[in-house]
Amino acid sequence: MKKLLVVLVAATALLVPAAASAHPLGNFTINRFARVEVAGHRLYVRYVLDLAEIPTYQARQDGVDPAAYARRVARGLHVTVDGRPAVLRPIARALAFPRGVAGLRTMRLEVILRGPAVEGTESLTVHDTNYAGRIGWKEIVVGADTHSLSDELHAYPKSLLQSPLDVTRARATVFPTDAPVPQLSAGSSLEAPDRVADGGFTKLIGRRHLSALVILLSLAAALFWGAAHALSPGHGKTIVTAYLVGRRGTPRDAAVLGLIVTVTHTIGVFALGLVTLALSQWIVPETLYPWLNAVAGFSVVLIGAAVLRARVRDWLHLRAHRHGHAHHHGHDHGHAPEPGTGFRGLLAVGISGGALPCPSALVVLLAAVSLHRLAFGLVLIVAFSLGLALTITGIGLAAVLARSAFGRRSFDGLVLRLLPAVSAVVIVVAGVAMTVRALPKVR
Amino acid sequence: MSAAVLTLGGAFRSGGAAAAPDRLPAGVAEELQRGFAAGDTEAEIAGLQGELRLRPRDTKALETLGLAYLQRVRETGDASYYPKADGVLHEALAVEPRDLIATAGLGQLALARHQFRRALTLGLRARSISPTTAGVYGVVGDAEIELGHYAQAFAAFDRMTALKPSVASYARVSYARELIGDTAGAARAMELASSAAVGEHEPYAWTRVQLGLLQLSTGRAAAAARTMRLALASFPGYPFALDGLAQSEAALGQLRRARTLESQAVARVPLPQYVSFLGDIEAALGDRAAAARQYALIGVIERLLAANGVRNDLDIALFDADHGRNPARTVALARKGYLERPSIVGDDVLGWALARAGHCTEALPYSTRALRLGTKDALKIFHRGYVAACLGRTAEARTYYRRSLAINPHFSILWARVARKGASS
Repeated sequence: MKKLLVVLVAATALLVPAAASAHPLGNFTINRFARVEVAGHRLYVRYVLDLAEIPTYQARQDGVDPAAYARRVARGLHVTVDGRPAVLRPIARALAFPRGVAGLRTMRLEVILRGPAVEGTESLTVHDTNYAGRIGWKEIVVGADTHSLSDELHAYPKSLLQSPLDVTRARATVFPTDAPVPQLSAGSSLEAPDRVADGGFTKLIGRRHLSALVILLSLAAALFWGAAHALSPGHGKTIVTAYLVGRRGTPRDAAVLGLIVTVTHTIGVFALGLVTLALSQWIVPETLYPWLNAVAGFSVVLIGAAVLRARVRDWLHLRAHRHGHAHHHGHDHGHAPEPGTGFRGLLAVGISGGALPCPSALVVLLAAVSLHRLAFGLVLIVAFSLGLALTITGIGLAAVLARSAFGRRSFDGLVLRLLPAVSAVVIVVAGVAMTVRALPKVR
Repeated sequence: MSAAVLTLGGAFRSGGAAAAPDRLPAGVAEELQRGFAAGDTEAEIAGLQGELRLRPRDTKALETLGLAYLQRVRETGDASYYPKADGVLHEALAVEPRDLIATAGLGQLALARHQFRRALTLGLRARSISPTTAGVYGVVGDAEIELGHYAQAFAAFDRMTALKPSVASYARVSYARELIGDTAGAARAMELASSAAVGEHEPYAWTRVQLGLLQLSTGRAAAAARTMRLALASFPGYPFALDGLAQSEAALGQLRRARTLESQAVARVPLPQYVSFLGDIEAALGDRAAAARQYALIGVIERLLAANGVRNDLDIALFDADHGRNPARTVALARKGYLERPSIVGDDVLGWALARAGHCTEALPYSTRALRLGTKDALKIFHRGYVAACLGRTAEARTYYRRSLAINPHFSILWARVARKGASS
């Protein structure tokens, strides 16, 4: 089962290329920072290690003993004061495993080392031999207020003109100061160096403590992300709008449509999650997406064709009537049979709008499985789907209301009469476009 | 295919560890030589960065810096230079959209990231900008090789060599010769490449390592070890050389020494192929627990590569098939990898994955196609024998097993044993 989860997380990572970014300096790196400073009459070193995902995994395979790490770091850092080798003793340390990419951890260790007394102005040399030969950022600064290019390994410069710093030796002059003894970072600055660009929604599942407030806030956030997500391309907004206009839907229809989208999307995510869990031996899940796209596209074409057929039949019917009596406004409702504003048509459109599970929702589900927080994950996905549906319903309502506004203004006209037919054509074209785009990727 | 082989006639052939992600031939180095001697890359980078801070739209400096970043990845294995190279090369293109060096440089970057179709597009664009620049044929040819278009690839390498004999073109001649089974000719071409690279630390070490791998592929492990040591001497700590020397020592039966060396390579750059070989050595030494830890690390590296959008399905499939991990999923991965990289490497890995999953009838055509160039690669020939054995064709299997062992009796720490057993049965 554990192996399956690893496969899953890997599969998930494939599905969401944009959800997270790797350690900015590469997954192999071990990054080192030393700040040598004098507080009062004593030399101190604030040493920071930042391990990217792979070395962190290796370290945790061996078990991380922070005291042993601190001692090793102290041994590997050679400092002389006035030519005499300084003895460095770890006096404080802090260890954290900030989240990295692909559900992995990184490691951040901070150690305060206490050095010898500094009585007057003395010469200082520093040579860092820790993890020599291992790639990564290497920085040494002297002085409590000296600027660190990487903000003490919190934020690596993104400039294209900045190579990873490679400073392992420094030479300076130091003297007693009235600066305070250096402190460890605390809280979030230790826990989460600003590096992983995680999607807002996918981050929700990783929260540590689930107080009632956190749960409520998470639900609200999931709702919001769902609503926002529906605005991104490919969530059937065009189709829903066109359908409601083409079918002369009512506000009730728009609401039902929203409900169907929510349910379908939730089921879709669960189903794909199940498929991913159960069938990972046979298929690479990302290959499923083009298929789903193609199927959804094809069903949209069918829906469009059905609407178009009904419109054409309406029109023929109307023409037959018009031979007898003059046309009057408000007539279009209920005159011709409306074969599919019925539940079946709505269902079809709702399903085509909601059947494509959003990758980020899938990530949440899979992450929930791996964190043993299945129930919370499920609730989050329902909230997410609901948000999605709210947006789609809103757009649908706007379409319905706009259309009836047209109706009241009554231009009797061509526009109003053609609109439904045009909508049907729009649906067909959108469906064909979806199918054509999906097909080349299907293998 | 025979047409291509004929045009290569005297000049060409090569082959090799095409599954290794970092087998980027020395094209970058060649471009760099115009500006400065590689080996001084770090200083050169600092200089160019300084120039660009003053004149940010200096195309020449931008493109040279992009190539220098690519060279730096080869020297250090530090992939954080890739996005930087990408960035400055694109800036150069923004200033001059039809810039030759920037276009070809992006092609090299795409090759390094295993985006072979994109690399081909960029290479062809570079060729249309300047059909008489040797380097563009390197990009085109490398991409064609990975896409399985051997005739086109060999033609590109022919043209490249005619335009400019250099480390880069000789190295490609060597690879082409190896592919069509002329290992001796491949070694001669690599010697030429090596002598053209004298005085440049990394390119020289790289050609030595390639030469050592050629020696190793023909079972001359002791000679290979000497060659690898020479590479290490000219470029201390060079991970390719550490790995090559570890392979040579393992072939010589010095497993403990091999373990030490491969651990050093892994400690510098934990590339998946290094980690898996280290695991194999540890397993061979009987240290199952240590091996299991290396294999678990492979899983983590795979997750990271996938998360970073690196296409390495064939490499993962090969590792999984070798270690009997999840055969059905392995086949799915290999099929996907094959579509991205329909070369003899794709044929070989897909055939091997199918055979290991028990689909031997389907494996046969792939494994047969993997040998269509006449490559004298003991592992591919062994795979073909394994497929035959699985189909119950014992005599045929024995022939292939014997052939693979005749080429290199120590071709694999995992499979040479199996071949020996099958060959004598």
